Amino acid sequence: MVVVDIADVAVCKDPDAALITYSLGSCIGVAIHDPVAKVAGLLHYMLPESSIAPEKAKASPAMFADTGLPKLFRSAYELGAVKGRLVVKVAGGSQLLDDNGTFNIGKRNYLALRKILWKNGVMIKAEDVGGAISRTLRVDVATGHTTIRSRNQETPL
Amino acid sequence: MSTQTLEGILERVGSLPPLPDTLYRLVGLVSDPSSTLEQIVAAVRYDQAFTADVLRLCNSAYFGLTRSVDSLDDAIKLLGTTKVLQLVIATQSRSMLSRPQTGYGLPAGALFAHSVGVAIAAQALGRRLRISEGGALFTAGLLHDVGKVVLNEFVANEYIEIAARVAREKLSFAEAEEQVLGFSHPEVGARLGETWNLPPAIVRAIRYHHAPLTCAAPDALVDAIHVADAVCILLGIGGGDDGLHYRACPEVMARHGLTESDVEMIGSEVISETKSVRAVLSSMQGN
Repeated sequence: MVVVDIADVAVCKDPDAALITYSLGSCIGVAIHDPVAKVAGLLHYMLPESSIAPEKAKASPAMFADTGLPKLFRSAYELGAVKGRLVVKVAGGSQLLDDNGTFNIGKRNYLALRKILWKNGVMIKAEDVGGAISRTLRVDVATGHTTIRSRNQETPL
Repeated sequence: MSTQTLEGILERVGSLPPLPDTLYRLVGLVSDPSSTLEQIVAAVRYDQAFTADVLRLCNSAYFGLTRSVDSLDDAIKLLGTTKVLQLVIATQSRSMLSRPQTGYGLPAGALFAHSVGVAIAAQALGRRLRISEGGALFTAGLLHDVGKVVLNEFVANEYIEIAARVAREKLSFAEAEEQVLGFSHPEVGARLGETWNLPPAIVRAIRYHHAPLTCAAPDALVDAIHVADAVCILLGIGGGDDGLHYRACPEVMARHGLTESDVEMIGSEVISETKSVRAVLSSMQGN
């Protein structure tokens, strides 16, 4: 099991492994899987745009959508994944109660993702986003089987 | 509805370790800006475990010192009182905050990770808002959720009812605790802080961290802990089953002129710093 921390990304080709990331709040977890190359990748980014802290983006590109997503996809290509075959699943983007705008990172994280994927012609196959819950996202390298765990309940995504 | 009284619950706190003696003295001293280095060293000089912690900490890669530090005075002079003592306070409270809190769906280590995150976020906010304090931000951040340690088993017993009210009535988790149990984790934490004789400013920050507008007068420390907590909850730093079911108070943001980009900047600082602080803490004894 490869644990992907907040502001981190990992790709994997080991057929016995799974990638997992815990405690997605307003952050977004993006799981990708190529069923032919049997390559999986997982990103846990926390903010939409790297322009607020370019030096942080250099040190940890996975902190932001606009630097983390290219890193996720490129790393998967290096392991033999092919863009057209990648299955993309998304979770997170939660909000606090009565969010007034100052704390709407979850919504903006999700919009940033949609925009970047759309520009690159990548479709989202499944998603579980929004609400006020915390989620754990897991993807199996061999099968691409993806699950969401929240409040002790696991559901396939 | 529970028939427990708050006093009854606090009496049953026997299972909770007392605040370590050295930690208790330190919290008082570092929270008081008029404390001197001599007073602080005097308070902790005879605690060997503490001294060992400080030296191990100072000689860790985190501080990147070129020569080895072998006395307490030396350590504190070299690195500054605040930095060293805060990390040591964190070490000393770790065993209390690291146990799993199953009522809240917090695995081992999660509450401590959240507490350290809030302590770091509170300091980042303190710098932004130019709050002058002598370590109270860090300490209050670290202890703000200590009530969860006490309330855990009661929340576990009533979890279904609390969760139902959160879902049905759009209550925050703390509001639902209060409705179902008669009191919430901030109030229990504040009462615990009073029995430990923590400084009143820190008790206030614990008590009002989810409801800063109910504090009698606007209080910068309370506000900073409220915002720091909201940022860490939002980012899922040590999050549990209560998830994001809390409110962030727009009035508090407005009265300090805090914006969306401040929230983002603080969040990114917290993530970068928490990783290195936790690496240091996990290399230390006591766990």
